[in-house]
Amino acid sequence: MDNMNLLGLLFRIFIFPGFFFLLIAALFLHWLDRKLIARFQGRIGPPWYQPLADLVKLFAKEDILPSGTNLFFAALLPLISFASVLTASFYLPIAIQSAPSFQGDFIVLMFLLSLPSLMYFLAGWVTQGVYSVIGGNRSLLQYFSYEVLFLLAMSGTAIASGSWSLADIRLAQIKESPYIFPQIVGFLFSLAGLIGKLKREPYDIPKAKSEVIAGALTEFSGKKLALWYLTIQLQTVVGLSFLIHCFFSGFWQMSTFSGFIVFLLLLVILQGMLSAISAIYARLRIDQLVYLNWYIFIPLTLLHNVYILLK
Amino acid sequence: MNKAIIPKVLRWARQKSPWLLHFNTGGCNGCDIEILSLLTPRYDVERFGILKESSPRHADILICTGPVTQQVKPRLQRIYDQMPEPKWVLAVGSCSCSGGIFSGAYNILGGIDKVLPVDMYIAGCPCRPEAIIDGIVKLLGQVK
Repeated sequence: MDNMNLLGLLFRIFIFPGFFFLLIAALFLHWLDRKLIARFQGRIGPPWYQPLADLVKLFAKEDILPSGTNLFFAALLPLISFASVLTASFYLPIAIQSAPSFQGDFIVLMFLLSLPSLMYFLAGWVTQGVYSVIGGNRSLLQYFSYEVLFLLAMSGTAIASGSWSLADIRLAQIKESPYIFPQIVGFLFSLAGLIGKLKREPYDIPKAKSEVIAGALTEFSGKKLALWYLTIQLQTVVGLSFLIHCFFSGFWQMSTFSGFIVFLLLLVILQGMLSAISAIYARLRIDQLVYLNWYIFIPLTLLHNVYILLK
Repeated sequence: MNKAIIPKVLRWARQKSPWLLHFNTGGCNGCDIEILSLLTPRYDVERFGILKESSPRHADILICTGPVTQQVKPRLQRIYDQMPEPKWVLAVGSCSCSGGIFSGAYNILGGIDKVLPVDMYIAGCPCRPEAIIDGIVKLLGQVK
């Protein structure tokens, strides 16, 4: 019996809602993103195997860094961010699998999802390029505006369910209704926060191609660059699953095939929304971003949370 | 069996995902405009997996336009050294193939091959976008 449990656990970690499934989903969503943006711009776009080819090529390339770089930290930072995103996926019921839940795992998940941003800043600092340092500093500056927005907008669901546990949030939605209908404003603002977290347009200030080359990742090549890209792609899947769990639970019953299909459908629809936003909006200036977040989005979110609290 | 499969997979990946770095070594900007038109909806090279990267550390193919001037030579070498292996160099336009109309000038070294090992020459003044795509595809056909 113990053996069976161990096998089940390993299967859970490495194959199904774990690493392998996440990898496939991340590569697919990345391809979908590039294809959709290409179609929105009137282009044809890359074939379906494109993200896989990019990844394999990058892993097989030479790995060089500028002289003066701390090689230990340059190798450690992408690994930490990759590990934190994967760990976040274990606390989240991805693809309707049950996950261990405890009081406060909502906050743990928030923390694990925000670790890569910090590592991104440190990566820019460690590699010592001028553009890397500017990109890293920009990412930290942006961090202080979108992270507050993301936490406030997402915590609307926790306030409504009266618990900081993901399982309770789900149960409350099954009992009443999915939070997407009463909290559509909160959902839209958390989507904006997620865009900031993933550094996509219009919040792509840290990696603006025409200004700072590739931001903090400018000096990375080969395996480490591949790991960074993979981290961001996995973060997309985990972040979108977090949104789906907090706002769309209750549309399906636990552990059913139809639930799994609905989950995948929602994932594709939300990725489509992200792609459309990327294709429509140009990059904001950093002062515009801070103004937008601190003067408009965050006060509105606070009002929204007060409304939920009083209701 | 592994010995046969891994090189094949790597070859496939390298052929399907060439990322370009574009560098003007002192030309008239004509070929640069033709290269940038590759990214437009009319030619859309992303369907071949080609992306235009801004950092030499991310790139696989260095696309050079224009003749090499004395002043740009150390920078060209430095950019080439910053690119991780395996890497290729593409000389686009008559000037970067041979020095073109600028050859013999006091500040001109000549074509790109005076400084770097060039893998593919694309002639034309300026060369057509179709010719550039053809050159990249033929270059990728030689990838081992």
